Amino acid sequence: MKMSHAWRPVILVVGAAVFLLIFRTIYVPSDFTAKNGDYKYQWHSLRDEKYWMDYPVKHMGQEFCGQCHPDKVEKITASGHQKVQCESCHAMTSKPATKHPVDLKEDFKYLLEIGVDSSRELCKRCHAKLPYRPAEYSESSKGTVKFKMIDPKIHNAGIECVTCHDVHTAGFK
Amino acid sequence: MVTRRDFIKAGLLTVAGMAIPISALEMFKPEAMASLVRSFSEKKRWAFVVDTNKCVGCGMCAKACKLENEIPFDADVQRTWVERYIQLKDGDVVIDSPKGARLGFTSNDPYGHEIKDEEITKEFFVPKLCNQCEKPSCVQVCPAGATYKTEDGVSLVDRSWCIGCGYCITNCPYYARFFNPVTNTADKCTFCYHRITKGKNTACIDACAFGVRKIGYINDPKSEVFKIISTQRVAVLKPEYGNEPHVFYLGLDHIVR
Ligand code: SF4
Ligand code: SF4
Repeated sequence: MKMSHAWRPVILVVGAAVFLLIFRTIYVPSDFTAKNGDYKYQWHSLRDEKYWMDYPVKHMGQEFCGQCHPDKVEKITASGHQKVQCESCHAMTSKPATKHPVDLKEDFKYLLEIGVDSSRELCKRCHAKLPYRPAEYSESSKGTVKFKMIDPKIHNAGIECVTCHDVHTAGFK
Repeated sequence: MVTRRDFIKAGLLTVAGMAIPISALEMFKPEAMASLVRSFSEKKRWAFVVDTNKCVGCGMCAKACKLENEIPFDADVQRTWVERYIQLKDGDVVIDSPKGARLGFTSNDPYGHEIKDEEITKEFFVPKLCNQCEKPSCVQVCPAGATYKTEDGVSLVDRSWCIGCGYCITNCPYYARFFNPVTNTADKCTFCYHRITKGKNTACIDACAFGVRKIGYINDPKSEVFKIISTQRVAVLKPEYGNEPHVFYLGLDHIVR
């Protein structure tokens, strides 16, 4: 029996749909999924979640540096600078970075190139007197204290702060 | 009468149309259906708190973020930045964020002009970052399926799928996205996903000596973020966009935008 002429376009359309489904199965990587069936926001490749989770941790803070420099960390945690982390001054240096002598793990590579930023500009980031700054500091273990600010135009202009001040004790040298 | 030509046209159009929602076929997987009825409140969901009252504008957060996430330091793009707001007596509002505050605010010179104390009614700093929206418009507009929200509420960009079209950058109401000149993809704050999933704080929180920033699960009664959000008066930025942002601010002002 001769096939009705109406079937041919139907087969064409169905064929196109089947092709699309097959193409999709091959083209979309198998780890693409939408968690909780949330196709609006969660359709993604699971592999990429891992990419972001495995990103190397770099900013380590006092706890890490204290493993080799307990004296420095003890000093600073007892001072007004107790919440200032090592990297605030010891990374992105104004002076040329020095090679750190310790062979740290792959994860902490960026710490290998460290020096110290002891510039007046760095201290001013917290201690320049600006009208926008809160006058009190409440994060100290000593309770709320007056936040120390100076007018950089008047206060020994042109001299590095570290000439007189010790950053680790937050006091005078 | 439907002609053969009409039928083929309409048929192929339908198939082409199906190409868009065809991924929904996965809906018929029983586990996908089951998850639709599972209660959402049990899900862990990251949220952030910013206490603007405490911020001094030192920009250590912005600096730490750049180093942590390998965003080229001198490029004018930021995952987190700090804005300065000055309300003047004549009604004007001055807002600036020189270099995204990665070098801090060290003088009273917005746009190079000193503003006298007597001209000012109030002034303060507002740190900003991606709001990790519950309904992220950046994700909705991505034509490549490159950006997505994780189950715990953090929006991320798949660097290997992003085509760099920049739709998401223009569609984020918070200007939280930018073009990364090294990876040539869209980039944004990830809430330091590599740190928070290991139980650490984000780099910006660690670097802040002033206790401005906090992160935690919004639905975990033990987290500080939960305690603050459920007991204090918090606000979010631009709620009118309906994005349901998950960065909550203490001490937000109506001039902040
Ligand atoms: S703040 Fe912008 S980039 Fe972040 S999730 Fe919301 S819309 Fe997306
Ligand atoms: S720039 Fe990348 S992530 Fe953003 S919308 Fe385009 S493809 Fe998606």
